[in-house]
Formats: sequence, structure tokens, C-alpha cells
Amino acid sequence: METGQLVQQLAQHDGASDGSVLRSNVGRISITREASQSFFSALKNDLGFDHCSLISAVDNQTGFELVYHFSIVDVMGQMLEVHIDLPRDTPTVDSITHLWGGADWHEREAYDLMGIYFIGHPDLKRVLLPDGFAGHPLRKDYVYEIHEEEW
Amino acid sequence: MAEMWIHMGPQHPMTHGLWNLRIKVNGETITDAVPELGYLHRSVEKIGERRKYFMNTTLTDRLCYASAMTWTHCYCLAAEELMGVEAPLRAKYIRTVVLELQRIASHLMWLGAYLPDLGLITGFLYGMRDREMFLNLLEIPSGGRLLYNYVKIGGVKRDLPPGFEAKAERVMQTLERRLKEYENLYDNSKIFRMRNDGVGVYSASDAINWGITGPNLRSAGVPFDLRQADSYDAYPELDFEPVTNTAAGGGSDCFSRYRQRVDEMHQSMDLVRQALAKMPEGKVMADSVPLRASGEAFRRTEDSRGEALMYLVGDGSDRPYRWKIRSPMFTTVSAAPHFLKGYKVADVPAIMGSIDMCIGETDK
Amino acid sequence: MSRQQVRGNPRMRKGLGSRTSDPATMMEDPPSGDWLTLRSDQFLNWVDDAVYNIAEKTGIRDVVNRVTRPIFNWGLRYSPWPLHFGIMCCALEMGAAGGPDHDSERMGVVYRSSPRQCDILIVNGPVCEKLRPKLKTLYEQMADPKWVIAMGECAIGGGPYWDSYSVVAGADTFIPVDVYIPGCPVRPEALMHGFLTLQKKIREKEPGYFLRR
Repeated sequence: METGQLVQQLAQHDGASDGSVLRSNVGRISITREASQSFFSALKNDLGFDHCSLISAVDNQTGFELVYHFSIVDVMGQMLEVHIDLPRDTPTVDSITHLWGGADWHEREAYDLMGIYFIGHPDLKRVLLPDGFAGHPLRKDYVYEIHEEEW
Repeated sequence: MAEMWIHMGPQHPMTHGLWNLRIKVNGETITDAVPELGYLHRSVEKIGERRKYFMNTTLTDRLCYASAMTWTHCYCLAAEELMGVEAPLRAKYIRTVVLELQRIASHLMWLGAYLPDLGLITGFLYGMRDREMFLNLLEIPSGGRLLYNYVKIGGVKRDLPPGFEAKAERVMQTLERRLKEYENLYDNSKIFRMRNDGVGVYSASDAINWGITGPNLRSAGVPFDLRQADSYDAYPELDFEPVTNTAAGGGSDCFSRYRQRVDEMHQSMDLVRQALAKMPEGKVMADSVPLRASGEAFRRTEDSRGEALMYLVGDGSDRPYRWKIRSPMFTTVSAAPHFLKGYKVADVPAIMGSIDMCIGETDK
Repeated sequence: MSRQQVRGNPRMRKGLGSRTSDPATMMEDPPSGDWLTLRSDQFLNWVDDAVYNIAEKTGIRDVVNRVTRPIFNWGLRYSPWPLHFGIMCCALEMGAAGGPDHDSERMGVVYRSSPRQCDILIVNGPVCEKLRPKLKTLYEQMADPKWVIAMGECAIGGGPYWDSYSVVAGADTFIPVDVYIPGCPVRPEALMHGFLTLQKKIREKEPGYFLRR
């Protein structure tokens, strides 16, 4: 399906907003976190997005933002970028591990480095940092000592 | 029989890179596996936020050091998308040539590291010898053997010197002769086939679900190649089809992954020849590359190991606000427990070697 | 089992093979002069008294050292066995140094997988907080004499990751380093020069090994 049509169809889902076409094969949409589960199920089961490329967590200082990238594994290479805004004090969202197995460790990394909690994840623990590490380093308010002066 | 957990790593000759694999064995059979990463976590994403956009190319080289050019290239594509810069056509062709040469060098590194895992130590020497030829070739334009810092935002650092095409052709002919010899040596070797056939099998649908991409996915018969599907640089103008292989019983096993990489080396040589023949004249660097950028952009490329994706968020200053790296090996290692179960402990080097791990990119 | 119920000759000497489980008799020191049934720490003390201190005092140790030191030193110099341990990019160059183009095996360099069998620990990459205790354990498992080569900028002082929250600022913050090889990555020729520098250091600085504690 063509990107413009895809974005229009997705924009009709409740909770969706801000749909646009980024490149000829990349669409973009924003979704609220309450509507995320039904949206992702529709994405996988009805529209055929079978590959979860990446789950990024961004720390906008007023809140967090999760950016998902999905793609269809075929010669057209259709991609979709999904944004979810999360409040600063409760950064939780439903996990999509039951839909895409590849999202497992991406969610663990988002938890590890940014502190976003995924509800329903089978084994949410730190993946890159040691187990006893305190804090979530990629947050903007994480302060650590740098051994030399700023250049 | 007693079940116990065995630690393989972080210091283990099998582990290419620094990671820990805990396997639960019942006698000799593996019943579960838990990979543990993080021994090489250098927080590249965080320190990338402290450096200017053009300085990060030194960090991206070191993400996957066996295939450094492709990672810098992915970052430069994402940064160019963010800044609205486009590289001139000659730079795109040079990038294509250099990327394919890097892909061959990376696959030769894999071959040189995989065969000793199976006990065929001569393969190490052959792999290193052939890889040196390609590293010397890549040293000519860039100046570096392993980490190049050659692909820049807006183009490449300097032009290919005259005589490069002749040297490249000579090197590729040497490799083709030797690859024929290796195929005869390995494919017809009974020990090699016994250790590789039917070992570490996963089906194509499982692989797509687990997020496996690149040669590991194409060796299961899925013709998905980002150079064709989400094309960039000079690839739209080159003529090629994705190479696939399938195991004898369907899906992907160690032997089909080995054959996939050897076939990809042949394909890369063909692409280099096409790109060198079609290369236009012109500049190699865009006229003006801005220092500051705002907005967000991402770009994905076909790295030697799979789908590499870089997502950049700019806030108007000359440093990235957020830089996210997608490593193909991250998801493949997370899927490793699935295709390790049921095999013996002695199959672990063969399986984990055949998926071509590079820990530098997983532990950003 | 109490002492009276021991099988065999009750006057038999009790050492580590003793069948008693009575704590009062288990850790008892054997009669003096009984070197056959000593515990390992008792044996070392006995060796100290009988052999080492005497050799040191009378000067026999120095004399024998003067003869054996060149021989042992030659053996140490020309068979440096590093640990098969690769951290990051410099590890690939360490592997390339072992390839046919820059052959490191002609210097006697044979990579061993077990730290117990190695002489050199080559730190060839950035040391993260998670890796640091493991690397310290590997270093401690190696037997004397041992040396450490810090290969590359990451091992010397953190390298390009000096301002990271999880990279240790150099290997010499927690283990003693003998040779520093600059470079990023270190060319295989520079690694060979590093091995030669280590050989020179061994020739000049290593003491003799006869009866060394």
C-alpha cells in the first residue's frame, strides 16, 4: 500500500494524530499510550508490519517520548515511525513483546538506559549496564563525574 | 542426568567479542541459554551528545570495528537527512565502492574467525592473508587499515587516487581464484559438513519475528536486502538481486549461513566492478555542510551483519540531542537461545560463530 | 570417629589423610620433623627454614642465580605467551599480527586460552565497569612472572571514551602496566615493536628466579 494511503488509514485509528509522509516509503504517526496496544495489534495483524526495527527512548525534558520503527520485509521496504508521548513521572507503556519477539531486548535497553517501564514484558531487567547500577544514564538529568575538564 | 549452568565467557576463545553466554546443560545437551552483554558498553550514545555532529564519525567507526566503514556511512546518511545535505554523485559512487570492499573484508574476517572455531586453524591464516589485501586497498584512499574516518557528512574525505581501479581489479581476481580453492576445501570436507549441516536451524518466519536481518535472514531464503528495498547512494543505479541460500531442510543452518557470506563476497566484487565502471567525474564533498541542525531523521543501511539504523534528534545546536543506534547483532543475540536449544555444547562455537557476532555494535 | 576408633595402626601419624572428624584433633600440628604429612602452608614454612633462608644467608642463592638467570631470562624473553583475550578493535589488529603478513609467532608468541598458562595480558580495548572485576580476576589468575601490555589509547587512558560514565580511565588504574603501545587502532607493526620493547624490558629488569618467593 502506498505511504500516503497507509498514513491516512492509520490516522483513523482512535488516539492517532499527526500523520505525515517522511519519505516515499516512510510514514509517521503519533499515538497515545492508552491506544497503543490495539494500534500495534492492527499494525502487525492487519497491515503486515512483521519486523520491529527499533524502539528508541528520547528524553524531552518535559516528558519522555518513545519512537518505534516498524518495517515490512519485502522488496518495497515500507516503514512506519510511531511516536508515543509519556509523562515524566510515570513513564510506563504496554510491552509489545507478544507481537514482535525482536522488541524484547529493545525494551530492556530502553528500560536500562532511560528508565521506561514496559508493562507485561517477560523479563524486564538491565541488559547493558551491570545489575547494581543506580540510575538511568541517558536521562538528561543524570549527572556523572568526567575526569577532565570540558574542552 | 544432572542439569547445570555453564558460563562461557567473557574470556573464551569462542566468543568473538566480550560477552557471556550462560548455557543450561543436561549432560551434553543444551536446554536453555541466557546471553549477557554489556562488557563493552561505552555509552557512545551519551558521549555522542557531547560532541559535534562531524566529530561523531570517529565514534561510529569503533561501533563495529570489523566493518567500520558501513557504520560511519549509516551515521552520515542520517546526519545528511537531518541537515538536508546531499552528497554529490561521485561521492555516492565512491562510498558504494568502499562499502562493498569493506563488506568483503568483514566477511573475510568472519571466515578467518569462524573456521578456527570449528578447529580448522588453517582457515584463520587464509582469512587473514586475504583480508590484508583488502585492508591495504582501503588504506589507499583513507589512510587507515581498520578504522578509516573516511565517509564524512556530505561526501567522502578525499578522492580515489589514480590507479585504484587497476589495483582493485587485481586484488579481486586474486580473491576469486582463492575463493574457488576454499570452496573446494571446505564444501567438500566431511568434517566441515558434519559440523555445519543441520546445526543451529531456524525458520524464515521465526527469524523475521525475532528481528534477525541481513545475511542471517537471507540464508533462510528471504530475499530482503536493504540495498534494494530501501536504496541509498549509488545502489539504485546498479544492477543486482539479493542473494539467498536455504538449508537442506528449510530455514537457515550454519552451512547456509557460510554459503551466504561466500556468495555475498562474489556479489560485492561484482558491485565494485559495476560501480568503478560507471563512476562519474565531479566533486567528492558537498559545497556547504551546516554545523547546526534541528528536527529528527533516521536512515537505515545494509551493514555487513544486517540492518543498521541511526536515529538522530537535533535541537538547533551543533551537537545531537539524542542519537540512537540500532545494531543488527543486538536482536540476533537475543534470539540465540531459541536456536541453541537441543544442540550439544560442542555446537555452541559453530552456531554463535556462524551468525557473525561483533560485540562492539551491540554494546553501545 | 574418635581417635581410639581409627583403623589400622593407632600410632600412625595423622596428616591430611586422617580419618578423624573431631575438630580438636583435626587441626593439630603433627609432631616436628614430620615433613611427609604437613599441610601446604606448614610445608612452605618448613621449606623456608630448611632451604630458602639458608641459601639466602650463605649467598648460595646469588651464586646460582648468576648462572641460571641468563638461561631463564632467555627462556622468558623468547616465549611470551599472551592470553587469548580480545576486547575491541585492537584485538583485531592483534589477530592480524598473528596472521601471515606480520607473523608474531616468530617471536614465540603463542596465544593460550587459559590465564594459568600465560605470561602476558594484553589489554586491547576500553575496560568497562562491568569488565573490570573480571579482568582483575584474570590478572590474578596468571602466575608470576607476568606482564601487562596496554595496547591502544583505550587501555592507556580511556581513549575516545574518556568522558564516558562506564569506561575506566586506563588499565593502569587497577593493574600494573609494563608496556604502553599508543595508537588507535594499534598497527600490527606497532604491536610487534611492543613485544620487542617487552623483551628488552625483561632482559634488563627481571631478576633471577632461583628460589625466588
